[in-house]
Amino acid sequence: MQFIQTIKKYFGLYQAFFKASLVADLEFRLNFILLVFAEFIWYSTQLVLYEVIYRHTNIIGNWTLNQMRVFVFLALFVDSIYMILWDPNFSKFNDEVRKGNLDLLLTKPINSMFMISSQKISISHIPCLFITGAGLIWSLMQIPDFNWLKLFWLILLIPSGLSVIFVGRLALNSSAIIFSRADFLQYVWYSIFRLGLRPDAIYSGTLRYILIFILPFAMVASVPTRFLLEPIQFGFALWALIMPILLLSFMNWYWKFCMKYYSSASS
Amino acid sequence: MKKSFIAFWRRNLAFSELAIVSNLEYRFNFVIDAFVQPLITVGIELLLWIAIFKTTEATLIGGFGKEAYLAYGVWAPFLGRIAVSWMYESMMVEEVSSGSINVILARPISFYEYYLSQMMGYKFITTVLSLLAPLSVSYFFHLPIHYDRIPLALLLVFYYLFLIHTLSFVISTFAFFLTRVRSLTLVKNLTLWLLAGELVPIDLMPETLSKILLLSPFPSGVYIPVAYMTGRVDINMISQGFLSVSISILVSCLIGHWLWKKGLEEYTGTGA
Repeated sequence: MQFIQTIKKYFGLYQAFFKASLVADLEFRLNFILLVFAEFIWYSTQLVLYEVIYRHTNIIGNWTLNQMRVFVFLALFVDSIYMILWDPNFSKFNDEVRKGNLDLLLTKPINSMFMISSQKISISHIPCLFITGAGLIWSLMQIPDFNWLKLFWLILLIPSGLSVIFVGRLALNSSAIIFSRADFLQYVWYSIFRLGLRPDAIYSGTLRYILIFILPFAMVASVPTRFLLEPIQFGFALWALIMPILLLSFMNWYWKFCMKYYSSASS
Repeated sequence: MKKSFIAFWRRNLAFSELAIVSNLEYRFNFVIDAFVQPLITVGIELLLWIAIFKTTEATLIGGFGKEAYLAYGVWAPFLGRIAVSWMYESMMVEEVSSGSINVILARPISFYEYYLSQMMGYKFITTVLSLLAPLSVSYFFHLPIHYDRIPLALLLVFYYLFLIHTLSFVISTFAFFLTRVRSLTLVKNLTLWLLAGELVPIDLMPETLSKILLLSPFPSGVYIPVAYMTGRVDINMISQGFLSVSISILVSCLIGHWLWKKGLEEYTGTGA
């Protein structure tokens, strides 16, 4: 019963956050339109990269152009969800720490990780979610004899991939609490995240295992794409279930660890 | 004349030094910026090109072999990071939006000059220190780099930075008229990133598109210097780069100057 109450409370909060973000984003309409446009440029660049390379080769890793399109659209679809839910909050995290705004968030009677990561929702990314989703469906239609029931695997695999992004970004940001200024860690994140925007087939040997089990960026889009396009590997399904629990437990510990170093900047 | 130039030089040198000192103050932050991030980016790009050549049947793509692309993969992200201005553009926009520009307006230095010298100081120190990374990777993997061409290529990138700074200046003047201009920075930088050829060598793109892009100044930030260092293009392309950047600087300076004047007419000095 208490669990349901808690869920209701967080859901209510999330609704309030959504409304506030919607009003805030639509207040500056030109800014909003340009943000949507910027996201389309960013997503186009990812597509352009492979479209140009496939003009000169038929296969990368072990994927053809059609298969690679499924991977790219799926990666961008997952990325859109992450951008909507968490990115604006993580982007301003360092400022919140430096200016002492974190104090206020820590005093709220709710989970501090939830508060710091979910206050702002990026409304400008919602159109991208629909476009990349449509792109994914279109790219799957290009695959001969695709079994559409396989899409149900995404219900498990997308949240699992999102947990990798959430924990990765929050862990890097939390490190900013330990080091008084670590703005560039944000840029490191964008570099590391490229690992997830490349198919796992380009990594070989130990590195590939690292990207599945230790820094599991392959779980963001590569492994889900394999579930859609190749025979199912149940070992990965089990890992997709266990991994988020491990990652979130680690994050919970690391957050508390970093908090020990937090000295209220506003006091 | 000579006296005023010396004053100008000293003033700008002081601001460059200020940028260098303030960036080196937070050493962890600087190490991440100058070494860790470029190495990660380079590593990922190398893996992509190695995988492409491992699986393709052809030994040449667009007329160039694996080593040429590895060299491109090493140097393009390195130069791409130099040829962009996120941090200083955000600071410039913030100054105008928040009204703290008052302090600069009251000083005997222009807003443009104040941030130009700081950005150049920061770019100089980051380039000098992080140059070690692509140089050592190129040496270790025996990549086909014409080492004697590096100084001229870097000179073009630094010249291109004048254009980048002028564009940042233009964007920051929009803050006089609009409440939020962050999206403009985002759109501009992403477009430049795509047009500069950091993502993929411009000569791999369809021929007509590639010709049009090469006429624009943007490949002078990444593609032209890297292509020159790796032997994909000759000195004529570098000259063309200098020329197109010069014309663009002139045009963007005129636009910036006009917007600045209009902006100051609109501006109400809050926070004074």
